This record gives sequence, structure tokens and C-alpha cells, in this order.
Amino acid sequence: MSAEKATPTYEVLSPWAEADPVQLKGLSPRLDKLDGKKIGLLCNNKRAATLILDVTEKLINEKFPSVSITKFFARSFSVSSLEKDREGEFNDWLKGVDAVIAAVGD
Amino acid sequence: MYDAIYIEGKGKPTATYVFEHFHNDAMSAASSKGMPVIRIVPETIVSESTVVEDIVAAVKAVFNNVVAVLTKPLTDEEKAPKRREAENPTRLIFKGTLAEVNQFFYQRGWTDGLPIIPPTEEAVAEMMTGTDFPADHLVEKLEPRLGKATIEKIAINAVMAGCLPTYMPLLIAGVHALASNPVCGMMAASTGSFAPFWLINGPIAKDINVRSTYGATSPGDIANASIGRAMGLITKNIRGIRKQIEDMGVLGNPGKYSFVAAENEENSPWEPLHVERGFKKEDSAISLMFPQSFQQMMPFGTDAKGILATVVGSIVPARMGMFAVLLTPTNAGSLAKDGWRKKAVKDFIVKNAVVPDGYYKRLGLDDSKPFDRGNVVITGAANKNAILVPSPRDPDPVQIFVFGGFGSWMGLMQGGPNPVTIKVELPKNWAQLVKKYKNIVPNYLRY
Repeated sequence: MSAEKATPTYEVLSPWAEADPVQLKGLSPRLDKLDGKKIGLLCNNKRAATLILDVTEKLINEKFPSVSITKFFARSFSVSSLEKDREGEFNDWLKGVDAVIAAVGD
Repeated sequence: MYDAIYIEGKGKPTATYVFEHFHNDAMSAASSKGMPVIRIVPETIVSESTVVEDIVAAVKAVFNNVVAVLTKPLTDEEKAPKRREAENPTRLIFKGTLAEVNQFFYQRGWTDGLPIIPPTEEAVAEMMTGTDFPADHLVEKLEPRLGKATIEKIAINAVMAGCLPTYMPLLIAGVHALASNPVCGMMAASTGSFAPFWLINGPIAKDINVRSTYGATSPGDIANASIGRAMGLITKNIRGIRKQIEDMGVLGNPGKYSFVAAENEENSPWEPLHVERGFKKEDSAISLMFPQSFQQMMPFGTDAKGILATVVGSIVPARMGMFAVLLTPTNAGSLAKDGWRKKAVKDFIVKNAVVPDGYYKRLGLDDSKPFDRGNVVITGAANKNAILVPSPRDPDPVQIFVFGGFGSWMGLMQGGPNPVTIKVELPKNWAQLVKKYKNIVPNYLRY
């Protein structure tokens, strides 16, 4: 009786790269209410984002008329990652709002 | 999501509308930036939708959630998220038969669906003879998960893809290319299914048999097939961009398997791309771009006039991003014979690629402003109907590549940012390495 041919086996290395642990961050404290607050609407350059925030603005004006709204329009899909030249402008806008509603539109 | 994380980091609560099918993608992005507990507002608005009624209904349906995201008090976990142990597998991960290894890797999401070569210690060691760098040398950390692209990890993915060791210098340069432009990360994950196109220049192309002539981007050459494939596996396994988690490409793109060519420098009448971009002709270089579409066409005529008319007449206003013309040596030669140099061709295309009068009206669309999805609109541009507009972001909106065989077909490629070109550094024993692997070429039987 002939011995069975052994099927070759392979001991292999993992292709999945290591990554250093990222420092974890908690969320910012929430608002107690929306009334009387300054809300920023952040719109990236996707078409749906503009439309989403237009509707949001109307709803806020209807339901929370004491809220004031300002908008920031990104030129790309991420101001913080891709528009370093506008960092100052973006931070100044953020200083002037109490909270932000953002739309990805994608 | 990166903006939401940035804003939360500035102490402002944020509510982000996210298409419900993007939930995994959003949370993965947030986790990669250290904010695994970010609050989002899932909605039902399809990516890039312009249907106002759908958007109004969808926003109204979730508006109360927006208010809740901004006002509901934080949980303890949201104030101080606890670390989940990241999945960093052990170095030696599995032992099994060829079929078992393939199944194990596939089920972990580490392959592109095709069989892989098992990355054994021996195979990876041989792959690393293609570079002078040691195994633990860190080439780059690659977004979004900042995975460490060490020489060993690059080599592991290269073995899986079927690369030869002589491809390592290109892969290392390719990793640098991926890291050089933050938009590169976003292209690989985009709903637009942008696929990386790698163009090789310089002597390395001939050294390692990267095809530049007939069928340059068709299957059949180890170099063209496996270099792109390895970069695709690196995108998955080192960058962490995986289908329908981070990679939200809607239609998908077969170019993501491999899309590699060498420029046909010896038959081109013009300077090669890398020289155009400031390198010496004797340098070897790799250029990376992310087109989402690739179309081929027969020109109106094979003289200069016919070729240029075809290019200009085939650029649709619904396009976006980089625009590249792919010319065979024949077509490039026709242009050069008529006195056209690359720059003149580019200038002609920019000047003459316009939206025809009445185009939008004829289609029943609003013609009050040009469609400019993803392209920078320059206010007060000299020609408001221009489709390709040089801008600070894209000073050179047209690229020209010469590759392929001697024929009249021509191609257009568009989408994504402009090319990044990285010089390839060769190991000291390059000549011996080339000699060892150079004759691994197909020899087709005649029938």
C-alpha cells in the first residue's frame, strides 16, 4: 500500500499592518436646549449637503425662531483635512457658534 | 466625519447627517481619529441626490434626532470612551494548505477576491531582497488608520499579489505616493469608485518588463498585473480601506484590481511624464492618479486635426477632476509631425473644450450656471463655458500620456486629483537583481 502524498502546508505572515493606538477623545458637552443658541451649518461641496442644510435651516426657523444661524461652505469634502489655508477662517467661524449641524451629502 | 471630529475637538457639539448605508464608514472614520463614540444622524438621502422632495421628507423625518444629538446629555462612555483593543494580529497568523490559507485570508477580508500566493517567511524574505531597507524600516504610515507600511508588510502584500522582488522599489515609491497627497485616501474610499492608475517612467520599466506597448493595461504581464494588485492589497491591509466599510464606491471599478502601464518613451515624440514633472530622463519614477473612468474611441481622423477634434468633442460637461488624453505613439507622432508639442496640445484642449451653446437647455436643464461637480469654479473666468479651467488647485488640468501599440485608437481618462510623481530609489545590487529575474516573461505557443 503506498503512503498518501502529504498536501503541502504553508505557515504564513499576516498582511494586516500594525497601527499605534490613537488617543481617544470624548464628545463635547451638549447644549441644554436649542432656543436662543447660535447654530452653524457646515456644508461640504456635495450637492445633497446644500439641499439638506437648506431644509434644516427652514425647520430650525419654524420650530426654534430664537436660534440664529450662520453657514460655512467648504470647497471640498473636508475643510479640516483639505483646506488648511482656511483653518483660521474656519476656527473663527466655530468660535462664533454654540453647535454645528453638518451634512455629508454623500 | 473628519470635520465633525475636528469640531467636537474644538468644544462644539456636532450633529452630522449621514446616509444610513454609510454608518459603518462613518464610525470607522471616527474611530480612526480617536472618537469612536461620535453621534451621527442616519438619514435616507442617497449619495449626491438632487431630488428635493426626497431630501425634504428625509430631513423632516430625522430632524428631532438632530435636536436630540445636540441636546441629550452625554453618557459616561461618550464623555470618556474606553479603548477597544485594536485588531493587531500576530505576525505568523496561520498554517494550512494552499486552499486553507486562501480561505482564511479571504474570510478575513485581506484579499481582492482572487487567489493569493501564501506569504511564507521564505517568500517574504526573498521579496525583501528587492530593497536595501531592513524589514522593520517604516516607509510611511498610511491614512486612514495610519497603518505602518514597513518593508515587511509591503513585501507580504507583494508576495500575495504575485510580485517579483524587483518590483519592491516601485512599491516603496508607490507607498510614498499614497502618503504624499491626503486626497489619495479619500479617492480610494469615494462613492465615485476612483481607481489608482500607476504610470511608470524611466529605465526601470524595461528592467522589470512593465509593458508600455500593445495591451499595456490588459492582463498578461506579471509586472503590470501584480504591481497594481499589490498596491490594492496595501490599500486594504495597511491603509484599512475595505469594500463597503471605508470604500463606499457605488458602481465599483475593475481598475482597482490593477491599472498599470509604462509610458512608451522610446516611441513617443515628446518628453515623458516624469521629465515634464521635473525629473531627469535617466531617473525612474512612478506617477499615481485616481481616474474613475477610462474610455476608448476611434478619432474622427488620424491626422492632428482629427485627433484634436476628437478629444475636444468628447469631453462631457458632466465630467469631473483630472483629465488625461491617452495617445498611442502613432497618434502622438501625427501631432508632432504637424508641429504640436505637448504644451500646445494641452493649451488647445483647455481653450476649445467648451459647453456648446444651448446644451443644457436642449437637455431640459437649468443653464444659468455651468455644471461643475468637483471642479473649481473660477468666478469671472474668461470663458464661462469652458469645461477645463486651470486654477490654483489644478494649474495643469490636462495630462497627456503616450503608451500602447501602433494603432489609431485613443483614450480619455478622467477623475480625481492631478498626478503625484515619486522618484524610484534602487538598491545597490540592482543590476544583479535585474539579471536574476529579467527573463521571467511569457512565451506564447503558436497555433
